[in-house]
Amino acid sequence: MLLAWVVILSAWEMAYRVITWEPYKFPAPSHVLDSFCDLAGFRTAFGDPISAHWPKPADGEVHPGGSIPLLSAPAISGVRLLVGFAISIAMGVGLGLAMWRFELANGILGPVFLGLQTLPSVCWVPLAVLLLGHNEKGILFVLVMGSCFAIAISLRDGLRTIPPVYQKAGLMLGADGWKLYRYVLLPASLPALASSLRQGFSFAWRSLMGAELILAVDWHGLGYQLEIGRSYADIKQVVAVMAIMVMIAMLVDRLVFAVIERKVHQRFGLVG
Amino acid sequence: MSVFSIFGNGKATAAQSAAALQLPTRGRMEIEGLTKAFGGHRANGIEDISLQCREGEFVCVVGPSGCGKSTLLNCIAGMVQADHGTIRLDGKEVNQPGPDRAVVFQDHGLFPWLSAAQNIAFGLKMAGMPRSERSDRVETALKMVHLTASADKLVHELSGGMKQRVAIARALVIDPAVLLMDEPFASLDAQTRTLLHAQLQEIWTQTKKTILFVTHSVGEAVRLADRIVVLHAHPGRIRRVVDINLTHPRDFDGTDITELVHLVRKEIEDEVNRANSQTAEFWKPASAVGVGRDSFSLGDGI
Repeated sequence: MLLAWVVILSAWEMAYRVITWEPYKFPAPSHVLDSFCDLAGFRTAFGDPISAHWPKPADGEVHPGGSIPLLSAPAISGVRLLVGFAISIAMGVGLGLAMWRFELANGILGPVFLGLQTLPSVCWVPLAVLLLGHNEKGILFVLVMGSCFAIAISLRDGLRTIPPVYQKAGLMLGADGWKLYRYVLLPASLPALASSLRQGFSFAWRSLMGAELILAVDWHGLGYQLEIGRSYADIKQVVAVMAIMVMIAMLVDRLVFAVIERKVHQRFGLVG
Repeated sequence: MSVFSIFGNGKATAAQSAAALQLPTRGRMEIEGLTKAFGGHRANGIEDISLQCREGEFVCVVGPSGCGKSTLLNCIAGMVQADHGTIRLDGKEVNQPGPDRAVVFQDHGLFPWLSAAQNIAFGLKMAGMPRSERSDRVETALKMVHLTASADKLVHELSGGMKQRVAIARALVIDPAVLLMDEPFASLDAQTRTLLHAQLQEIWTQTKKTILFVTHSVGEAVRLADRIVVLHAHPGRIRRVVDINLTHPRDFDGTDITELVHLVRKEIEDEVNRANSQTAEFWKPASAVGVGRDSFSLGDGI
């Protein structure tokens, strides 16, 4: 897998150096690497033709000083994600439980949520701006709206797959009232909950990036770095930030949500 | 010595001898005119089921699919509310699920997030029993079903037969008045089933629980039961009650059992044929057909 990537990136770089394409039209991997370093707070010139000072920039200035967006932007986005995703989980789980438990709630909310789920999350941005303005609340609004319906729907669907025999068994063993929820239905819903949180995270991340891209706020998150790249016509930075977004999302998914899901499934014997 | 004190002594002796003989003192069940229709169609439910189970009796309910065997069991368990009729357990009417009527489900219904031992401890935990006391009881229960070595295994790590043994232990550990078993061995292979028949018989002899065991297998019923209740479908009604007067423990492969299975099966087949030949009469109550709830005994003196 890794080798394949090395081959593809090398071929891309080689093609670029042989044909000498304009770097502002489409960047080579080396340009993206320069942009990474730039975001990390020091200047490089991997993309320049090989020369004596390579990969240092021609003027030799390596540390221009200032911010390190490679650290600050994901940190700012991370805090927003934690807060927003927590709200989203609370709302999504509450709504999902309500739709599962009460047929009336499901009848009213189910179709609405399914409909809203088809709405791309950036489409919440204009409403957020008019309703709340260009501020943190607006960003959280987009994040929560973009993910809580998905959590609610997938949790409801997951809860519906709980075999009725668990509830019967719980009742005959004396788990009534809140005990049935705490000791039977909650643990029985763990596989559904794990899957819906995993799905919810990817929705939340996408919504957050979209909101940060458009909403002008004081703290510059990862999405805003993309907007900076666009406004300076810096295609290197655009590609670099996109790559960072993908990598962070994949890392969190693999290291947190996939692990939780696998552990729960192993416990329940749902995987070989 | 006063008359009163003689009377008192007499009572004590009776109680002592009862304890020595381990006569069960609870688990008397009286079902009276139980009726349940589903979706307004009486053909889909059970109708006018009346049945008495003595303390410590092993009763098997047999019948074809759709005859309402499971509905009857679910009504007794309190999982389904009957339209008419009453269920009394030791004189007290019951209509909600509760630990006095433990159920062993066909598909075991064990909680997959808990280990075997934790599953068995669940009912005790719900009853608020302290942890230390729980573990002793669980250990005894595990020993009873010969699963001490598998205590910490997760449900999916157990074989089908082991799962049902855990389910039986989980049901018995809460000391119910009756044990309700809903085709518990239907999905097991023949060998495992025979093994579990032997274990269940052993457990029943030890615990003296009243057991209501639902099955579609006449062979299984004859092996285990003191009494077999035969249901017929559309709607589910009692058509026959057969006493099996064989002593326990039984030799499952003995000729007497085999012969009895044939006899009971034939009785049931004749019954079906008679019912079918009187299609017009079929929907009337059993007594109208003239073959209804009269019981007969088999196996005397074998």
